[in-house]
Amino acid sequence: MNDPQKILYIAGLSKSFGKLQVLSDISFSVERGETICLLGPSGSGKSTLLRCINWLERPNAGRIYLNGSEIGVTGHGLVMKDSELSKLRTRMGMVFQHFALWPHLTVLQNVMEAPVQVQKRAKAEVEAEALALLAKVGLSDKRDVFPARLSGGQKQRVGIARALAMKPDVLLFDEPTSALDPELVGEVLLVMRALASEGMTMVIVTHEMAFARDVASRILFLDQGRLIESGTPADFFTRPQTERARLFIQRYAGVAAA
Amino acid sequence: MSLNDVLAILQGALATVTLSAIGILIGLPIGLGLALIRWARVPVLSGIVAVYVSVLRATPLVTLLLLLFFALPNIGIPLGPISAAILALTMNTSAFNCEVWRSSLVNFPKDQYEAAQSFGMQAGQRFRRIILPQIIHDSLPGLVNEMSLLIKVTPVLAVVGVVDITRAAVRIGAQTYEPLPPFLVAVAIYAPIVYALVALQRFIEKRRAAAEAST
Repeated sequence: MNDPQKILYIAGLSKSFGKLQVLSDISFSVERGETICLLGPSGSGKSTLLRCINWLERPNAGRIYLNGSEIGVTGHGLVMKDSELSKLRTRMGMVFQHFALWPHLTVLQNVMEAPVQVQKRAKAEVEAEALALLAKVGLSDKRDVFPARLSGGQKQRVGIARALAMKPDVLLFDEPTSALDPELVGEVLLVMRALASEGMTMVIVTHEMAFARDVASRILFLDQGRLIESGTPADFFTRPQTERARLFIQRYAGVAAA
Repeated sequence: MSLNDVLAILQGALATVTLSAIGILIGLPIGLGLALIRWARVPVLSGIVAVYVSVLRATPLVTLLLLLFFALPNIGIPLGPISAAILALTMNTSAFNCEVWRSSLVNFPKDQYEAAQSFGMQAGQRFRRIILPQIIHDSLPGLVNEMSLLIKVTPVLAVVGVVDITRAAVRIGAQTYEPLPPFLVAVAIYAPIVYALVALQRFIEKRRAAAEAST
């Protein structure tokens, strides 16, 4: 797990909400530059897995390492303090299904908030970078607008710029296009494709099968809280190993064909 | 009714405004603190706050005031009428403010809070940078409403001898046997005090709306 190529290393991760076992014994690792797509039926635990990685949900068992540092648990096996956890979280950017922009801040302020307030970086330097990021997601003209004035697709692109502004080691996407009108999905996926081709390390929970097939370097398939398949998109979509995955692909292929 | 009488009522107004302002200024942050204790479900304290708020919301201000004024000296804590008045106003308004703040906190969108968490903000930063600026605006109408109610219950402070607007008017009416003029003056003074508060609230709301519309 000190392999410098491995940005994320997850071993034996389990999570339950009361009696409901949501994740059982999940293990995988993510290498630098990989685009991982987490697929699976609703309720299979994809989002919970993503939220466990940065400890928005506290796992019941298992270990998570980011670049060799264990997340959530100190060297003495104790649960981390807010301050220690916060430091590790700045190295992971998260993009939310419902954007979760801060409505009292302008677009530019949203992007600059964490680098300036959390990472304590110089404002002028952060502003220059933030403007470059807004240009990258095609929203330079919206810098001084409040989020309420943006479309869903624009909000999510700001969400991505905000996550990139911290220069994270890995980006976590929690169904980034699920809350969007169909005609707005494309503009967000376009930005994500560009990031993948630039070599950004990403873990993406999604239902966009075409995107996963084209962009993912690896597909992880979850069913009922278990990681039951892991492979390249070509293998996963053409030669699924399990019946569950086969049915899942079939159902989506049916939707795509119709 | 002489000029001196008007001045006496104005002096009462000074007492009303000063005591209300002190009660509001102390009661606002205390109310917020109490709300945060309940919102964060701080063990033990949260339960104590819940009882404090329920008891104070159920206790008439005049009863609370008399209790403090007569009971505290009995157990060795000497308390003048002004101190008793300030303490009673603060305790009363903090309980009501607590509930206004708390409703904003409870309704605060969870995903915005989680975004702040996932971007590495610690509890203090999350509160100062993300939550507080938004709940202030959300709570403002409820808080101003509570402030105006507080100003209008200040006449009960007369039971411990504080001479406020109404008490001053009563005195003058009793001396001159003409109660109508002093009470008209009293009513005329309450209105601008409360209006000033509401105007302040409108100003804050408009400033924010203008900031959001300007882009």
